[in-house]
Amino acid sequence: MKYYIFRNSTIENLFSGLDANFSGYGDITVPDVTADVYVWFYLPTFKADLRKTAEEISVYYETLQFIHSKIPENKTFLIFTLQNIFELRYLTGDFLLNKSIENFNTQTEKLASQYSNIKIIDFARFTKNYASEQLIDWKYYFISKMQINPRIAKDFKKWFAKEINAVLLKRKKCIVLDLDNTLWGGVLGEDGISGIQIGGDYPGNAFLMFQEFLVELGKNGVILTLCSKNNEQDVLELWAKNPFIVLKEEHIAAYRINWNNKAQNIQELADELNIGLDSMVFIDDNPSERALVRQTLPMVTVAEFPEQPYLLPVFMEQLLRNEFAVYALTNEDTQKTAQYKANAERAQEQKKFVDFDEYLQSLAMELTIEAATPFTVSRIAQMTQKTNQFNLTTKRYTENDIQNFLNAGNPVYSLSVKDKFGDNGITGAIILKKINEISYEIDSFLLSCRILGKNIEEAFLYNILDKLKKQGIKEVQAQYIPTAKNEQVKDFYDKMGFQQIDKKQDCLIYKTDIFSRDFTVKHFYIIHD
Amino acid sequence: MVQKNINNRLNVDSEIKEKIIAVFQRVFETVEIEETVSQQNFPKWDSLNHLNLVVELEDEFDVSFEPEEIVELKNLQIIKDVIINKLQ
Repeated sequence: MKYYIFRNSTIENLFSGLDANFSGYGDITVPDVTADVYVWFYLPTFKADLRKTAEEISVYYETLQFIHSKIPENKTFLIFTLQNIFELRYLTGDFLLNKSIENFNTQTEKLASQYSNIKIIDFARFTKNYASEQLIDWKYYFISKMQINPRIAKDFKKWFAKEINAVLLKRKKCIVLDLDNTLWGGVLGEDGISGIQIGGDYPGNAFLMFQEFLVELGKNGVILTLCSKNNEQDVLELWAKNPFIVLKEEHIAAYRINWNNKAQNIQELADELNIGLDSMVFIDDNPSERALVRQTLPMVTVAEFPEQPYLLPVFMEQLLRNEFAVYALTNEDTQKTAQYKANAERAQEQKKFVDFDEYLQSLAMELTIEAATPFTVSRIAQMTQKTNQFNLTTKRYTENDIQNFLNAGNPVYSLSVKDKFGDNGITGAIILKKINEISYEIDSFLLSCRILGKNIEEAFLYNILDKLKKQGIKEVQAQYIPTAKNEQVKDFYDKMGFQQIDKKQDCLIYKTDIFSRDFTVKHFYIIHD
Repeated sequence: MVQKNINNRLNVDSEIKEKIIAVFQRVFETVEIEETVSQQNFPKWDSLNHLNLVVELEDEFDVSFEPEEIVELKNLQIIKDVIINKLQ
């Protein structure tokens, strides 16, 4: 990732280690460099006369607009909010400065809502961790114009890396929770359903806050699961009878409440939910359980649970910051727990039918296949970032990359799937590249694991191939690039009637002559396109 | 007695030198640091890294350099002398 950073003071040490170029101080020319991300990182200048600083700031927004107009539309423009880190408190003047800072931030926010390539980074989330004298070391300011104390450069770099991950959509998917002394105080099996501490006085009130926090995480698209050594019957009874429990069965996508080894249970949960171990975070108050999981499942993130319940809010903040930072939620995220739950119900339904087609028919599936629109580009990019298992080439793209495909005339389609249990939203995508007038290549083909196991991939691909056939295209090429996670699709194109024509290293190259093939899909897939 | 003092001083001297070299290695991300290293003969030692170096040295020895001193810290020998001076 290459950065170009517009700045007005010495900040190289905050971004060292990154591939970054810097503007001159206050320089607003957009040089002809190839950067992936442009950054605006200004700090209010340090002046004794606050009115002068306020005046400078009053033109920042215009400058910023100018820069934005010169940056290619398909490049991300990251804007740090302006923060006042040096406060002289006179009787007059500081109002003026704060007002100008506020104006700049409001205007920038508005601009960001109009252009999808602008992302705002709230610099206050970093500065609030420090007192003024920690933020500024005046010696370094006067000898080198460093406004931020070089001693906190390391912290800044860590923080910025997390923020960037959030902007580029890399977060964990699932939490695995212990019960006793994690979600409430006490041991359910010993203290009984009314004896455990939840709500009311300390520590119950702290645990209650933690439960409420988890419910909110669930609403924000994090999958909640339980893995606990208890009697399942006790927990079900607790859910039914204790009115203080706010994290209830309906919030939980799957659970393992038994006396088995937790590592084994977590592995099972991952399989059941069809997610990777590396997207899970394990939360348990018991250090030996944490050690066991850390040792046997090194892919799983193990959070350091606080010893004192009153430290739970700090833990919550850390968890959000480190594992679940998110820039902008898409609609699909907020519906996710419901969808995973509906999947579990579908799995139950599957058992009732002997004939697979009969089962598929009973689901009343509706597939919507549509060309990418400005509203779906963000979700499509997100899917290329997060989908690992059913992903033939695992190419990761940003919103801007997808936009580039479209601008170059390469078709991109999204797939949304609905059935009688619920709406899964956009859960599949295909990116095509035109080779010449009669042939195309499939650059990316991917499906969310939430909709697997229903042959939807075939219906989706056939529908697209049929579209191409009708346009007079004769041949379609495709490839399978193996990764640690996409083993399950290694013979996908063979199954879809493609011929393997080449092998480069591990990468398999396929083609199919579509003009001679029939792409009728089974009648029970209702397709809207 | 005099001999003992000299020995002592030599020990402290080389101990501090080792620590400074370790700081150099951290800042410049290389193990190849000669005792003769200076701003002239070491291209990575630019103005930005100079400040990084100063910050790390201040932390390592729990000392604070004055701006006038910072400009003068041009090679390992001078750095060592200034630090020893401050520690006494």
